[in-house]
Amino acid sequence: MKFSYNWIREFVPGLTQAAGPLERLITMKTAECEGIEETGALLGNAQVVLVESVEPIAGSHNVKTQIDAGPLGKRTVVCGAPNCRAGMHAVWTPIGKKVVSGVESDGMLASASELGISRDHAGILEVDTIAGLVPDAAIEIDNKSITHRPDLWGHHGMAREVAAILGLPLTDPAKLELLPEGPAAIQVMIEDYALCPRYSALVFDNVTVGPSPLWLQYRLTSIGLNPINNIVDLTNFLMAELAQPMHAFDADLLHGDTIFVRTAKAGEHFRALNDESYTLDAANLVIADAAGPIALAGVIGGGESAISDKTTRVVLESANFQASSIRKTSAGIKLRTDASMRFEKAQDPLNTVRALARAVELLPLVSPGIRLVGGVADACGPLAAPPVIELSLAWLARKLGRTLASGEVRRILESLAFTVADMDADTFLVTVPSWRATKDVGIKDDLVEEVGRMIGYDSITPEAPLAPVAPPPANPARRMQHDVRNLFVDNGYTEVYNYSFLSEADVRAFGMDPNDHLRVLNPIAEGQELMRSSLLPGIWNNVKENLKYRDSFRIFEIGQEIHPNETGLPSEVPHLIAAVYDRKETGLFELKRMAECLLPGAQTKPAQGREYEHPARAAEIHWRGELVGRLFELHPRMMETGRAAILDVNLARIAELGEAPTKYTPIRRQPSSAFDLSVVMVNRQHAGDVRSAIAEYANPLIESTNYLWEFALPDGKKSVSYRITVGSPERTLPSEEIMAIRADIIAILRELNYELKV
Amino acid sequence: MLDESIQELAAGALQRIAMAGTAEELEAVRVEVLGRKGGALAEISKGMGKLSPDERKRIGAVLNQAKQEIETALDARKATFEAVALAAKLDSEWLDLTVPAPGPRRGHLHPITRIQRELEDLFVSLGFAVLDGPEVEDEYHNFDALNIPADHPARDMQDTFWLSGGNLLRTHTSPVQVRGMERLKLPLRMIAPGRVFRNESVDASHEHTFYQLEGMMIDRNVSVAHLLYFMKTLLTAVFQRDVTVRLRPGYFPFVEPGFELDIQCLICGGPGCPVCKQSGWVELLPCGLVNPHVLRQSGIDPDEFGGFAFGLGLTRLVMMRYSIDDIRQLQGGDLRFLEQF
Repeated sequence: MKFSYNWIREFVPGLTQAAGPLERLITMKTAECEGIEETGALLGNAQVVLVESVEPIAGSHNVKTQIDAGPLGKRTVVCGAPNCRAGMHAVWTPIGKKVVSGVESDGMLASASELGISRDHAGILEVDTIAGLVPDAAIEIDNKSITHRPDLWGHHGMAREVAAILGLPLTDPAKLELLPEGPAAIQVMIEDYALCPRYSALVFDNVTVGPSPLWLQYRLTSIGLNPINNIVDLTNFLMAELAQPMHAFDADLLHGDTIFVRTAKAGEHFRALNDESYTLDAANLVIADAAGPIALAGVIGGGESAISDKTTRVVLESANFQASSIRKTSAGIKLRTDASMRFEKAQDPLNTVRALARAVELLPLVSPGIRLVGGVADACGPLAAPPVIELSLAWLARKLGRTLASGEVRRILESLAFTVADMDADTFLVTVPSWRATKDVGIKDDLVEEVGRMIGYDSITPEAPLAPVAPPPANPARRMQHDVRNLFVDNGYTEVYNYSFLSEADVRAFGMDPNDHLRVLNPIAEGQELMRSSLLPGIWNNVKENLKYRDSFRIFEIGQEIHPNETGLPSEVPHLIAAVYDRKETGLFELKRMAECLLPGAQTKPAQGREYEHPARAAEIHWRGELVGRLFELHPRMMETGRAAILDVNLARIAELGEAPTKYTPIRRQPSSAFDLSVVMVNRQHAGDVRSAIAEYANPLIESTNYLWEFALPDGKKSVSYRITVGSPERTLPSEEIMAIRADIIAILRELNYELKV
Repeated sequence: MLDESIQELAAGALQRIAMAGTAEELEAVRVEVLGRKGGALAEISKGMGKLSPDERKRIGAVLNQAKQEIETALDARKATFEAVALAAKLDSEWLDLTVPAPGPRRGHLHPITRIQRELEDLFVSLGFAVLDGPEVEDEYHNFDALNIPADHPARDMQDTFWLSGGNLLRTHTSPVQVRGMERLKLPLRMIAPGRVFRNESVDASHEHTFYQLEGMMIDRNVSVAHLLYFMKTLLTAVFQRDVTVRLRPGYFPFVEPGFELDIQCLICGGPGCPVCKQSGWVELLPCGLVNPHVLRQSGIDPDEFGGFAFGLGLTRLVMMRYSIDDIRQLQGGDLRFLEQF
């Protein structure tokens, strides 16, 4: 929200700080300022002049004018405005001499837009006086930082902060004594006071609708609002001043003399000021007359009862609505207005009549001759008493970590319009002002902030907390993930991070069903609508991107797979995915080695290749008797060029299984013996099967079975050699015993139809 | 006469040893002269039996001396040959060590991992537990338990991704505070680094996926002064230099009072520069004293315990540390970027 410096200064007459230093003070004590914008800068040297003569310039749409700038004398000015004519009064700004259309032009005749008064740039401003229009500065406050402060959505609220910060007096623009007495000219019926705690209104006649006076247009323009007409502009002015959104209806276009505040009927239609039509339901609160909705409460007025050139009678609404109801409606129809933004912050019900009082004062200035009709219509439910908070000074000092004189605390709170009474020597009874009581301030902790920000947090000396010496609880899952990262990085793998979102095409490419995925209801872009249930599509994409620049690389990611559950939160399963890409060679064995480094004793069991896997190069990784991962090459169809080997390991499973406990056995003193065996196998038989067969034989004297090598034989066969080491911790094995073991193994392998060369 | 022939033999042998060109020639000399069977010296000693004991003793000494001289010469010559042979063998093993070593180089941790670990280590050293929470959260933990009820405008501060099934992607790591309070014993100190999501359009400085590090300390009598001390200590360690911090009001429903913490610009040190937009200060993190509603919601009595909480933008810190100018690089998977860390 933008705040006009001059407007604030109207309420804090003692303000001497310029906008720059004021902005810094507001940032440190109240809310974050995002910057200052000069407005109406040209007004500084502008003056009203008489255009004495106008001559055409050959070959140009511009004209050459002679102006009378009073004490500054006569000047020649080139002007391009269609409305420029001799005898008019215009605004001249001395911005220097410049040749325009071959004529030296001294200064400029300015449009309202150039002066910053409005957005009108159709022609130069024709005006008799610009008295009172001076340069201003718009201080922009971050809306997020005043989310909790309904009062700071108007200039008077910000002025109160400024006055408190600087210790200056604050004036109040709302004079309640101006409100007319007597019966109202319109009735108000509120269906539910919870949804509409208060609805106040005034009726005016003899209204003239036309452009606003320049001071009003300038005020609105300088805070970024667009002047429309005098009546609408005044409602916007009051909103910007007092944070009270207002609405004006053309009274002659209303049906009946009662305004109803009720929930909409299901399917009820409403055409708004913005020419949009909305279909409403019972969650929407409407303002209605006898014929139907005339406004969507707190959000936008209706098109049919809008103020127009023909309007002569006006109903001026100043109401208060439940914040959450307005917010729901505004979110539901996706329409945020200056009014709804304010109401959803929980506005002060006491403010409705204050804004009407201010309207009574200002309307005659913007629509001369306007007349009040009747008294104030004011339907009001039971209003909550302002909260009273017990504030212990000792407790306050403990929270802030600084002692404070009770007088200082009292002064600060009173400057912010809290009422302070003594309960006992240590305790104040603090009454919250109505505009802070709706949602913002309710507990003593809120007062810590009020006092803290005003004394300035820089007045608090940092102090070391006293904390027990205790080792923090361990997080073994995270520890393990860090260890896995180290292992892979040390072995040449680079860590990537991918998004948690996948597209339907990604999911289908890996044979998964999009319907098995958690779906993002409001994705940021197409292709990001599913939550990843696999890290594969991400790493596949990384491979495809990086192979444009590299012939060979290794990457990995640790991230969560997200799988929906019937109820409750989805399962988030941490996975490791590693990829080795090479233009020619397969990285499968490198990844198999990595799997064995990560999972000592892991077994690689051949598996049926999935749709996206190389059909003859896929395996499962088993560890401690459980399936924990998969090793494969991507199907060549998935790759334009080169080979990508992938290892995918379920880290949650590994963490559950845990490492085998470390057990020491003394180093053997007795010598071991070894013998080699060569087995003839058919080419596609797995070398590992021999090993498994020997392992199944389970002779405790076998220390190890090591694969040595293999070589091809004719007729689609191969010879695979193993070295078997045998020994005993207690004795040296006699050769007969060794030979017996060897014979056993040979017999077992022959039983399995392997041919042995012995 | 025997003396003469011994000396002659020895002189001849020594000369041949000196002239031997190969180890084989040398071996031939050894066999010819010193061989036990048929060696020249052996032949001479055979005839010694005929000599008188005195003569035998004398000739024996001469013979021994000659034998020793020859053996010494043979050994010396042999050592020379061996040295030459070894030198030649070693020379033939010449390696070009300027050729690159085979095998992969060390890979690279992601820059966010690096900074995150640095911070985890730091916090663990200060007695903080490192907690994990789910990336998909329920509305209760992400919002309600943090004093952000439905229809509260504060929900607009964090554009949320909503998921089928009614859950959402956590918009901050703060829900882990709630899970920490539910799980850990009091007093507690915890951090929760992790991935968070906001429904925001992506450009060089905005991402819908980024990393935060939430921190919380709950104990008896925790004050703003403690928060200030702690943040100053923490940031001094993070930036590895003395850091000046300031607090100003900031609104976050789960803390009261809430602060924006700024650090004095590390580039200009205060007078103002483009990095700090001429203000001398850089906004770094939101923090505050834990709102009593939040404590109560998690079953903690705010009259007995209080605490502070803060949310550090890890992604932002990484970008500051390495002067990264495009946030999209962090999740782009481009090795040309990642290999720089």
